[in-house]
Amino acid sequence: MYLLEHDAKQLLARHNIPAPQGCLITQPAEVTALPAGPWVVKGQITAGGRGKAGLIKKADNAADVVARAKDIIGKTAKGRTVNAVRVEQQVHDASEAYIAMMLDPAAAGVRIIMAAQGGMEIESLPRDALQTASAAPDVAALTATAEKLAASFPGAAGKALAEAGRAIAAAFLAEEALLIEINPLFVKADGSWLAGDAKFVTDDSALPRQPAQRALLADVCSAYVETTLKDAHGCDYVVVDPGGEIALLTTGAGLSMMLIDEMRGAGLKPYNFLDIRTGGLRGETKRLVNVLNWMREGRNVKVLLINIFAGITELGEFSRLLVSALKAVPEFRVPVVARLVGNGMESARAVLAEAGITLHNDLDAALAEVRRHLQTANPGDAT
Amino acid sequence: MSLPRIDRSTKVILQGISGRAGRLHSRLMKEYGTNLVGGVSPARDVKDINGIPLFADCAAAVKATGATVSVALVGAYDLLAAMREAVAAGIRMIVTPTEGMPVHDALKAKRLTREAGVLWIGGSTPGMAVAETAKLGFLPDVSLKSGPLGLMSKSGTLSYEAGFRLAQRGVGTSVWIGVGGDPVKGLRYSDLVPFYAQDAQTRALLIIGEIGGRDEEDFAEALKAQAFPKPVFALIAGRTAPEGVAMGHAGALTYGSHGGYAAKRAALEASGVMVYDTLNAMVEGVAAKLL
Repeated sequence: MYLLEHDAKQLLARHNIPAPQGCLITQPAEVTALPAGPWVVKGQITAGGRGKAGLIKKADNAADVVARAKDIIGKTAKGRTVNAVRVEQQVHDASEAYIAMMLDPAAAGVRIIMAAQGGMEIESLPRDALQTASAAPDVAALTATAEKLAASFPGAAGKALAEAGRAIAAAFLAEEALLIEINPLFVKADGSWLAGDAKFVTDDSALPRQPAQRALLADVCSAYVETTLKDAHGCDYVVVDPGGEIALLTTGAGLSMMLIDEMRGAGLKPYNFLDIRTGGLRGETKRLVNVLNWMREGRNVKVLLINIFAGITELGEFSRLLVSALKAVPEFRVPVVARLVGNGMESARAVLAEAGITLHNDLDAALAEVRRHLQTANPGDAT
Repeated sequence: MSLPRIDRSTKVILQGISGRAGRLHSRLMKEYGTNLVGGVSPARDVKDINGIPLFADCAAAVKATGATVSVALVGAYDLLAAMREAVAAGIRMIVTPTEGMPVHDALKAKRLTREAGVLWIGGSTPGMAVAETAKLGFLPDVSLKSGPLGLMSKSGTLSYEAGFRLAQRGVGTSVWIGVGGDPVKGLRYSDLVPFYAQDAQTRALLIIGEIGGRDEEDFAEALKAQAFPKPVFALIAGRTAPEGVAMGHAGALTYGSHGGYAAKRAALEASGVMVYDTLNAMVEGVAAKLL
């Protein structure tokens, strides 16, 4: 998962990677203890580009901090709502460098990138300002490669990059990271350094053996809803448009993504992404009932589209579970359109027909039925 | 035998055959024609499963059967150990359908197989198949029709749907390889370019990609560098996915400009690949070329 900057800095601090003093604020009215000012107030979302989105502001006094925090909390950017700000000491008299370690899938290693300039997107840095190399994913190789790269930078930057490189190498492996990027890395004249910003992407598959990361799921900011859901319920669910009209009960990550792309391309408004994993239902309605309850939160949801391509799952059995789950959530009262392909189509057709649901083989025919229901729900709408 | 092309003489073992998935898929693979010669299982009280003899470990299975290929259906946290065992036993190709292998384990697995010269297909893959001949993994029979189209996919279900619609339209596949949805995988699209270039049955190639990583970009470069001589088609899922959220597949995570749709599409098109927005358009484009 893509960590909030604040969480990233907390985790990095455990590996001797310091950041400017700061604290997390979710209730601006209750601000009491702040580090010494002046400050920068930084909205916390799990995406980059926060400066451009107006989520990072400076503050000179405590009243300013409260005003900025009130202003930023509640904003949305990149489809995410800001639930908290990190209030951090401004750093002066420091130059800005860049350091990152990330997976190198082609080489089965870790790529290190360093530059004596930082503070802007890495893509905007001149190529010849960058030093980069790939290393084997073990502490000795990664540390040696980082030190070698850092040695090509003179003075304070070289000293800071070498030291930060050693610390990040250890953190990257211990935390089973996919990416750690410190940009800017503040470098003082004496070569001491601080992480100005931190982009940290962890591996959800390693969560069960990374307790410090798993603890973040109970975080006050509830920033990791998708990972939390998967951890607790075994399926992937993402609200892609809170104002969406079509709830999707689908299986398979790629097919579900493609369906959303195609629907949007055709002017339809899907509400969510879902990989229900039919193979994991094991004859129980629980997961389906949970999903239907989550979909009730979509204020504009007017129709439910089920699209299942089952390689293995018996569709008659799936349809029986589906009909029971729909009965168990009577509050979710929207028309249901079903398109299923796979084994057991005849029994699926019979089970669904009894519940008043038409089974389609063809996705286009199912989408045509979705459009008819939307027209009934929005009579003035041309969609 | 020219791996990864398999046929009915290719000897295959299944690691984890006594689990729920192992029992089911050993039966389905055998019914499809796969030459499953052994299963590896710690179960002591059982002699065979679906008529397939059981062995205590890979070494014993390989020694007794001469198997060269393994399908590992074990838990995500047991996968690295299972792969070590298979490599040590002399297996030449390993398919790992299991979802959720930790990425740092995958880094180790990739170095292990690469150093041993073993082909690794996975993780999070539905497997691979030579249609109407044999399959390794879960690919559904309804989507498998023999024909001239090479197919590689990160996604299972999207490839099932694509293969099914292509088959209905009369287009079959030659060698279908699910490269898998994990960020660090064994064989990547680009590694397989030389194989599809020389495979005689393959007249055109379809890749089904998705956002995240840079497999599609590296594939586009490999096509150009090797002057791939056959038409190539692509479908890329996740054009409208939000940044910073892994969309079901661990590999399908974008951050900033990293892994985004636009860069993939541009790279593929610059290498002469036909990129489609919808399944229907892709099927019609491929059919127009091959039928």
